[in-house]
Amino acid sequence: MDVSTEEVDGTNKSVPITANASSVKVKKPVEIALRIIIIGLLICMFIPAFNPTHLSALSDKNASLFTTGISYESLSEGFSRALKKGWIEQSVLTMTYIGALITCLGLVTAGIGCAVTLGELRLKRIGGSLGIIGGITGAAGLVLTLVQYPGYVNSKKPDKIEAMIPLGIYVFFAIIALCIIIGIIYLVTLPKVTEKDKYEMAPKFKLFLMFLPFIVLLFLFSYLPLWGWRYAFYDYTPGAELTSDNFVGFKWFAYLFENSATRSDIIRVLTNTLAMSGLGLLTSWMPLAFAIFLAEIKNNRFRRVVQTVTTIPNFISWVLIYTFAFALFSTEGFVNQFLIDAGAYTEPVNFLMGEDGIWFKMLLWGLWKSLGWNAIIYIAAITGIDQQLYEAATIDGAGRFAKIWHITIPELMPTFFVLLLLAIAGILSNGMDQYLVFKNATNKNTIEVLDLYVYNLGLGGSGGMSQIPLSTVVGMVKSLISVILLFAANRVSKAIRGESIV
Amino acid sequence: MNDNTLPKRDSISAQHRKTVAGNLIFNILNYLFFTLFAIACFFPFYYLFINTISDNDLVSSGAVKLFPRGIHFGNYISLLNVNDLGSSFLVSVSRTVIGTILMVLASAFVGYLVTKKEMWGRKFWYRFLIITMYFNAGLIPWYLNMSMLGLTNNFMGYIIPSIMSPYNIILVKTYIESIPRELEEAAAIDGAGYFAIFRKVIFPLCKPILATIAIFGAVGHWNSFTDSLILMSGNPKLFTLQHRLYIYLTSSSNISAFMSSGNVTNEMVTSLLNMKTIKFTVAMVTLIPILIVYPFLSKYFEKGIMLGAVKG
Repeated sequence: MDVSTEEVDGTNKSVPITANASSVKVKKPVEIALRIIIIGLLICMFIPAFNPTHLSALSDKNASLFTTGISYESLSEGFSRALKKGWIEQSVLTMTYIGALITCLGLVTAGIGCAVTLGELRLKRIGGSLGIIGGITGAAGLVLTLVQYPGYVNSKKPDKIEAMIPLGIYVFFAIIALCIIIGIIYLVTLPKVTEKDKYEMAPKFKLFLMFLPFIVLLFLFSYLPLWGWRYAFYDYTPGAELTSDNFVGFKWFAYLFENSATRSDIIRVLTNTLAMSGLGLLTSWMPLAFAIFLAEIKNNRFRRVVQTVTTIPNFISWVLIYTFAFALFSTEGFVNQFLIDAGAYTEPVNFLMGEDGIWFKMLLWGLWKSLGWNAIIYIAAITGIDQQLYEAATIDGAGRFAKIWHITIPELMPTFFVLLLLAIAGILSNGMDQYLVFKNATNKNTIEVLDLYVYNLGLGGSGGMSQIPLSTVVGMVKSLISVILLFAANRVSKAIRGESIV
Repeated sequence: MNDNTLPKRDSISAQHRKTVAGNLIFNILNYLFFTLFAIACFFPFYYLFINTISDNDLVSSGAVKLFPRGIHFGNYISLLNVNDLGSSFLVSVSRTVIGTILMVLASAFVGYLVTKKEMWGRKFWYRFLIITMYFNAGLIPWYLNMSMLGLTNNFMGYIIPSIMSPYNIILVKTYIESIPRELEEAAAIDGAGYFAIFRKVIFPLCKPILATIAIFGAVGHWNSFTDSLILMSGNPKLFTLQHRLYIYLTSSSNISAFMSSGNVTNEMVTSLLNMKTIKFTVAMVTLIPILIVYPFLSKYFEKGIMLGAVKG
């Protein structure tokens, strides 16, 4: 990907580098301290333990300041009974929420200020000011939250509401105060702005700041979930708080092997997963064969129609596919009506029920959905093969099958190999959609794959949400094994082909 | 040369005849296989469709097999009385439109940014992006995270997480790298900043690849079902059409439970008796948008899949 590192960068040149020597002399340590503090504030915003709005025992212990600030529901949820009975004023909660919202806005402003300090002198001054303004706004929000405290204390049922001043209030006040002080020091130590200074920023930081919002999104949705792995080490039930009291270390990891019911579940689910993935691997040559045989059809129109029709199933959801299965294979379905009319038997059979051959049925539906689609990459590869190879082979007297065997297949092998390795790396991840829609009371034991098991254990099925730690453990182990498999596959690929696949 | 081949002519023609016969049998089998497979792929769509437009009594008695009988479109009209279907349709359409637009714009812009070698920490951030394709924390932590961010039972839960799509970003990046750099440089000399270059030069040139990812993104949004199931369990108004269909399919309760009680007319009663056709009709409605975009889709997907193959 970095083929062109040597090339001259036009855009870089075009932006004049004007930062004059005098303005560069900024107190670096102060600037860095300010940035670290603001980033720290932003991180604290996501830590539930530091949520300054936990003014009552009824508030959700796992909601962070950020959660409270963006959704009133997350705050009022725990109080629904208290509100209904009139123990607490609605306005108290609303004002608490507004306080949280203002604090969040202040912190975001400070965050923007932090980003702006990457610029030249004028922007640095703005950044410092934004940091201070954000800090003051945040503090104002905190004060607004804090003045609601009497509202909690003087509620009609103080023993139920259990008003308290949360740790978060102190933490945030302390850090925000530090932020404001350092912000002021920073502004004071910055040199005076002269006529020559412009609102400028080095291109590398400009680009970075443009990227930053997307980095934040990535962080929030792809990295922050890792923080949820901590649930694996606690005796967690929904609504409870994660404290040192319910910290259980590796209890749930051991539980997987020690509890006989769980152990047999895991063995059963792994058998299903490996069986279905294994069947998938065994049939992984089929798209290749499909492409080769399709290429042997010389009638262009027929070929295009086949390709179009066999690709459509890939674009419909598993729910729709289940509708098809229901229409065709249920008791009143097409197949039963057809077979009964033909006199094959008299009593209709519901092919969707029972666990006989369920792995095989799932494989067939999988093939129905994706065979045509998976063949496309090979079809494209076949069109890319040098025609001279075939011409040379024809002159040498090679027949049709000889050409397939000695030219087409070897040319497609690298693609096949990469896809096979990726499939092996993904052996534990068959997804859950397909198995969820086809699951019913009679086949649930043989259809449940690992992904579906994790879902059933943690979110669906019996026991409500009580199994969250255990299902987190299973998911964790699965993620780690998958990554190891991927690296192993990559190693194999590097060793054999000298190219990596990831 | 002719002299050399002459004595062998008989054997050659025998072999030739054998090859011709072999070819013929192969061709027949080949055509036969593909015809059957294509029918197998097409038939479920057709069967579902004829069931929704045939006479409901004939459908329930199993008389509709290969051809529609007693054609009418009453089932589609009676869907107007199915509870919550309208809101689900609206949710599915709006998440598809909004989600796809945002995803495409973000992919285009980020794809452009990661081609900029002078970006601070570019290599690191690019890896930061790529790693997310191969590693995830798992379903439960993801759910807990979404709930922590306040995105459960919230329409934004469909949109915001799907804005960043590393795979699509790589497709765009690869595409931008194939655009001659001189175009960008010329704009830069004219004084255009990064954003202006993106908007006026890169974005218009990227349209083919953006169309590709837009169509894939839209299909993904439309078909998405588990996120509705997992995230929106507390707010049925936010269920997607796919989720709604799943509920209808797996529900064993009486069809009248689905109908708004006020509007049951005589005509409706006949269709009430036939839950099967209602299920099928909902499925057809879910299916039709896919069939409509499919012609556009097929134009682009080969290009997309080939670009995907040369990622990195």
